[in-house]
Amino acid sequence: MAGLGSECSRRLAGCVSLLLLVFVAVIVSASPDAATGANETLRHPSGHSLDDSHDHPRNSSEHRKAFPVLAFNYEHVSKPFVISLWILLALLMKLGFHIIPRVSHIVPESCLLIFVGLLVGGVIKAMDQTPPVLDTKLFFLYLLPPIILDAGYFLPIRPFTENMGTILVFAVVGTLWNAFFIGGMMFAVCQIEAARVGHVDLLSCLLFGSIISAVDPVAVLAVFEEIHINELLHILVFGESLLNDAVTVVLYHLFEEFAHEGTVTVGDALLGVVSFFVVSVGGVMVGVIYGVLGAFTSRFTSHSRVIEPLFVFLYSYMAYLSAEVFHLSGIMSLIACGVIMRPYVEANISHKSYTTIKYFLKMWSSVSETLIFIFLGVSTVEGPHNWNWIFVIFTLILCLLSRVLGVVGLTFIINKFRIIKLTKKDQFIVAYGGLRGAIAFSLGFLLTDTEKKDMFLTAIITVIFFTVFVQGMTIRPLVELLAVKKKKESKASINEEIHTQFLDHLLTGIEDICGHYGHHHWKDKLNRFNRTYVKKWLIAGDRSSEPQLISFYNKMEMKEAMMLVESGSAAKLPSLASAASLQNAQQRAPPKQRAIPSISKTREQEIRKILRANLQKTRQRLRSYSRHDLFSDPFEDSMSEIRFRKQRVQMERRMSHYLTVPANRQETPSARKVWFEPEHKVYTYDESESPRDGAALETLPDTVSLLSESPQRPGQSSRLRKRGDAEQSANAPDSQEEPQKLSRCFSDPGPKEEEEEGEG
Amino acid sequence: MGSRASTLLREEEIEEIKKETGFSHSQITRLYSRFTSLDKGENGTLSREDFQRIPELAINPLGDRIINAFFPDGEDQVNFRGFMRTLAHFRPVEDNEKNKNLSNTEPLNSRTNKLHFAFQLYDLDRDDKISRDELLQVLRMMVGVNISDEQLGSIADRTIQEADTNGDGCISFTEFIKVLEKVDVEQKMSIRFLH
Repeated sequence: MAGLGSECSRRLAGCVSLLLLVFVAVIVSASPDAATGANETLRHPSGHSLDDSHDHPRNSSEHRKAFPVLAFNYEHVSKPFVISLWILLALLMKLGFHIIPRVSHIVPESCLLIFVGLLVGGVIKAMDQTPPVLDTKLFFLYLLPPIILDAGYFLPIRPFTENMGTILVFAVVGTLWNAFFIGGMMFAVCQIEAARVGHVDLLSCLLFGSIISAVDPVAVLAVFEEIHINELLHILVFGESLLNDAVTVVLYHLFEEFAHEGTVTVGDALLGVVSFFVVSVGGVMVGVIYGVLGAFTSRFTSHSRVIEPLFVFLYSYMAYLSAEVFHLSGIMSLIACGVIMRPYVEANISHKSYTTIKYFLKMWSSVSETLIFIFLGVSTVEGPHNWNWIFVIFTLILCLLSRVLGVVGLTFIINKFRIIKLTKKDQFIVAYGGLRGAIAFSLGFLLTDTEKKDMFLTAIITVIFFTVFVQGMTIRPLVELLAVKKKKESKASINEEIHTQFLDHLLTGIEDICGHYGHHHWKDKLNRFNRTYVKKWLIAGDRSSEPQLISFYNKMEMKEAMMLVESGSAAKLPSLASAASLQNAQQRAPPKQRAIPSISKTREQEIRKILRANLQKTRQRLRSYSRHDLFSDPFEDSMSEIRFRKQRVQMERRMSHYLTVPANRQETPSARKVWFEPEHKVYTYDESESPRDGAALETLPDTVSLLSESPQRPGQSSRLRKRGDAEQSANAPDSQEEPQKLSRCFSDPGPKEEEEEGEG
Repeated sequence: MGSRASTLLREEEIEEIKKETGFSHSQITRLYSRFTSLDKGENGTLSREDFQRIPELAINPLGDRIINAFFPDGEDQVNFRGFMRTLAHFRPVEDNEKNKNLSNTEPLNSRTNKLHFAFQLYDLDRDDKISRDELLQVLRMMVGVNISDEQLGSIADRTIQEADTNGDGCISFTEFIKVLEKVDVEQKMSIRFLH
């Protein structure tokens, strides 16, 4: 079996590589240089045919061009054609890696993509064409923004703000330290006679240092995403890579300006510091403005839901571009825009738009990332290179050294201010995760001084390759070896949300008692401000006054309802809404409208639409297991069967309360059937059996979940609580008894439902 | 005795408080000055009114419960020792403490004791269980007046259902601990007392 599998994968790998070569050949021949040649050769035969066709009609009439049935006009579409082919190649590569699972376990995807880029570049070069290089404009304007927007929009806010101080220190002070240390030391290295690089002056070295010192968000994302490290470390390294953009921008422009002039005065240095604040704060402000605009716009989109995602994308992109106009930090602007916009936009837009935004962002960022790494590989092959052993080796060593020293030194200072200290293991991972990537390459590409540019570029590429390949590949076994805490997978839990908010309030109160204006105090102030002013402006309708807890709960419920109807099985739907309504029914004789929990009209409409639309499907999809069948085949899919039945029951229950559709009998999904019988029989059985069946099973979860002192089945509650758990083998025999008991106790059909509820 | 104790804090007292709560000397003196600034009556103890005079506490949804947590059962006044004892729950947990602690009892700021403090804020009748009603009260305080009873009830039911493992319809202390195992309580329930 394994041999067959590996043989299959080998064959597939062979196919993939063949496909790759074919693609490259197509791309090359399709590239503009070749295009004109191809056109010319093709034009001649058509010219000939024209001449031929001329000869014939010349006898008969004046000349009349024959209508070309099939023409070839490539240059019309050459540019989009080539671009599409490249993107297609990139995506096919991505697909291909996962067919060969063993490789993708060891080697991170970024390495494989660079490798593919190298291959492609090599092939293109062998054909004597000029491969496309990672153009700086292409990179900064088209490839980078989707990745950053994706990261910023889905940034986990709580850990980010809790560790903001640490992240800022690493980003600002750490990057400054790296830049100056590397720049200074490289200058010292350049003084060595043997290196023959004496012509590199201090400013150029500092420029080089500033380019290579910044940790790259693309590379960090690519590598860290696969190792699933714990949230704290992930947010530390990732946050640092995002926020150091401001420092990089300032340093780069500063040194570039002065590299021409040759000297730097103290005044210039001071201006540099001021510029840093302007760049970072200005970038954030631009992002905030566009974020607020985007949130405000989304307030009015209730009638044109289809274009909602576009607003999010366009406002964010405009934020990025506007910041770039003024040489402010585009990355920080983009992050700020996404972070500000998100809570309000999500409260306003429909669920489908939310899904669209999520998937489009993921899609674009994935494509961008893939293209970046492939182009990196291609550009490496392209050159031009100026390999200088001493320069490159020392750069590499100094990069690693400065990173380690920086992290250790800064952590020593930071730990004095942190509650949860960073351990040695944490420090190691933070230092080791300082990967360099395409931003450094693009910045290097922007340099104008060609002589040093080649040398610098070579060194930059070497460092990038080293960090991505060596550090990227080894970080996963190191994480395992050091037993670093991994990310804990946790479902959204209403308990955690309630208790976390409770603790927030508690801590704010204690801080006020101590007179200590700490973290919680300001967070509370911000929340209050948000609630009283901002939400009223930016969120449409009655959701503007909805407490956070309620929106969390509603979101959770919606998610579960969708999961239930879309999958048709295996999702737990809480019966609590029904239980609550049940309690209401008990306490007072409810008029119909009272029994329905008061959720907002639009939400109710959505739930109604979803449930009703999908019930038709479920009727066909539900395979049939009759009650009798359950006894005779107890262990055939008993697990999914039991879960299946239970949440079908709950769905019926929920429907009957939420939809107030009296005809819920017809709409109930098909009842149990002997499963080898043909489908059409399902419906006939339905009418007679299901009301009883449905009603009988319906009351069960409510009774139990509602009243712990239910006399019928005291132990039922614990079993029912573990409903959703797939591994409950104990459920099987118990649940089989249920129908028996039920048929004994509740032998009455549906109309008696209210009574049973009353007793229950 | 009364007026002297309100203005001076004797060294022995500081030592005792240090041993009991683990605060440092400077932290204790700093908190003592806060204590005296709150103590308008200058009798060395705080009453409920003294706490309620803090403006931010008045708008805190849990304000009353927090104030009550400072007062031991039935009493109306809390002295400095009691004040510190309650605040000790919020001291950050230090790793080297585990070695220093020679006594048998856990330090007041251990994870379990922190959680127990929070638990008692829910559990007013001190029966070691958070019942549905107690949960509803807390939810009502946190959520405000605009949400209907049914919705709050369904949230409460869902909460209990998620947490309740032994099926008694209430959340016991062990279940409470289990639910919060993924939350970083040591960090969340700590206040950095700056030197």
